[in-house]
Amino acid sequence: MRALPLLVAAALAVLVPRAQDELDRLRAQDARERAVLYVRSGDRLRRLAPGFRSLLADLYWLRTVQYYGAQIAYSKEKKFELLQPLVTITTRLDPRFELAYRYGATFLAEPPPRGAGQPEAAVALLERGARALPDSWRVRQDLGFSHFFYLDDAATASRVLLDASRIPGAPYWLVTLAAELLRRGGERETSRLLWQQIYEQADEAPIKENARMHVLQIEAADTADAIGRAVEEFARQRGRRPASLPELKASGWPDLPLYDPGATPFEYDPATGQVAVSRRSPVWAPGYARRPERSPIRPAPSAAPVTASPQPTAHGR
Amino acid sequence: MAAGRLSRTAAVAMNTYRESVRERVLYNLLFFALLMTLSGLLLRDLSIRQDDRILKDLGLAAIDLFGTVIAIFIGVGLVNKEIDRRSLYPLLAKPLRRSEFVVGKFAGLSLTLLVNVAAMTAGLYFTLAVTRHPLDLHIAKAVACLYLGLLLTVALALFFSAVTSAGLAVVCTISLVLAGRFADVVRNMPEVAPSVPRALARAVYFALPNFANFDLKDRVVHADPISPAYLAWMAVYAVAYGGLLLTGAAAVFARRDLK
Repeated sequence: MRALPLLVAAALAVLVPRAQDELDRLRAQDARERAVLYVRSGDRLRRLAPGFRSLLADLYWLRTVQYYGAQIAYSKEKKFELLQPLVTITTRLDPRFELAYRYGATFLAEPPPRGAGQPEAAVALLERGARALPDSWRVRQDLGFSHFFYLDDAATASRVLLDASRIPGAPYWLVTLAAELLRRGGERETSRLLWQQIYEQADEAPIKENARMHVLQIEAADTADAIGRAVEEFARQRGRRPASLPELKASGWPDLPLYDPGATPFEYDPATGQVAVSRRSPVWAPGYARRPERSPIRPAPSAAPVTASPQPTAHGR
Repeated sequence: MAAGRLSRTAAVAMNTYRESVRERVLYNLLFFALLMTLSGLLLRDLSIRQDDRILKDLGLAAIDLFGTVIAIFIGVGLVNKEIDRRSLYPLLAKPLRRSEFVVGKFAGLSLTLLVNVAAMTAGLYFTLAVTRHPLDLHIAKAVACLYLGLLLTVALALFFSAVTSAGLAVVCTISLVLAGRFADVVRNMPEVAPSVPRALARAVYFALPNFANFDLKDRVVHADPISPAYLAWMAVYAVAYGGLLLTGAAAVFARRDLK
């Protein structure tokens, strides 16, 4: 008789994780990603929260980050429609919230699925940030980078970076960078230089990770170009294109990688000879895929990704 | 035999219900819940065509919040108060098992909560009707789920009430209710902190009462479909976890030295 409660308890204890697993599965299946923002005016909120504006800005910033994270992690549509109003409210509540301008602009500018794909909104946010924080060279640096990366405007980017370099405390390399942008605006190599710079300089994990991802994307695009050149060489030697990349690799290019840094096979079209980073790859990015014509491609043997391991963990981390 | 056990448990339950309804704090909480719902009328001016949504959000949040407060603060006193007042001794001198006493207490507070939640839901529907918004039947679905969550809170409070002093029981119950609402954070811990062993995070995740399971407020407000399978598993979860807590509470209380 005494054993009965124990048996019941044991049965129930087994049932709890089973039910939880089922609930998690169904919740993931039924997930509808809807969020709502009731008050869209930051200035109105400022008036509503006298004495608590910074706290409210913090709360809105937390919500912004949660919203962005949830869209990235769980949303199928990844629309980021509330991102801009959330960031705007946060920065209206606390106009000196430097991090909100910088992170917010990154979240906004990155193309889908990693961001809202609103580079103009990102630039507008950073311009507002630059006005609100006249002593922040970092906000101006981000503004310059955004002009270069997202709006393809090397001249403005260079001018903004020069402005940033004049602020006390700004690093010396901003001037060099500004000059380099002006000289070789739009090249993939310059992009690599900038992202590498951001990667080395960033303290915050998401910014660092974003920069690392861009460096990997550039590496992947470089490798795709190198494989493309090998295809051309193969065709020149044998009068036909290889039927597949493994055939190419087996025909005198043993060091040729078949996987990009995201561990996804490169896509190859034997009819046209085009080699591209797969859209399924985590390191696929439209921007870098468009640029090869403008970019002076390095010879294959020295291209870093050629010797890269297909495992993504081999890169950067 | 079974009928006698049932009637004794029912007698304890009705007694608990009557006693808790006499507690003034219940009326206060109810008053505040209704006040909060009505304040939605003022808040709607701050939104853009979102007033009915705000009313539902606010009303459901009030039901959840005040229901939880009632469940915790009345729940932790269910056993301890009887001991402190020494009203437990004449009860146990009667042919009443301690497990029947525990289950009866649980049923009594559950009934009190049912009445309260029903009153608050009626208040929310009344507000919607007054403001000429459609009476969304999905709200009742969300409230039913919230009520299941409240029953689990009562079981948790009752368990701690049987195990420890009232003060500590409040702290423990509130802590677990809060932790249970952030259970997903525990589950995803290894993603953000790779040093946390996955098995440990999973074990803690399952051990915590996951109150997020019962929170369908957002989905109901947005008229998202909720599968019957989800509702069924939610009920299974509530029964299993609640049953485990009540079994534990009865077992501990049966061995408790009341001298």
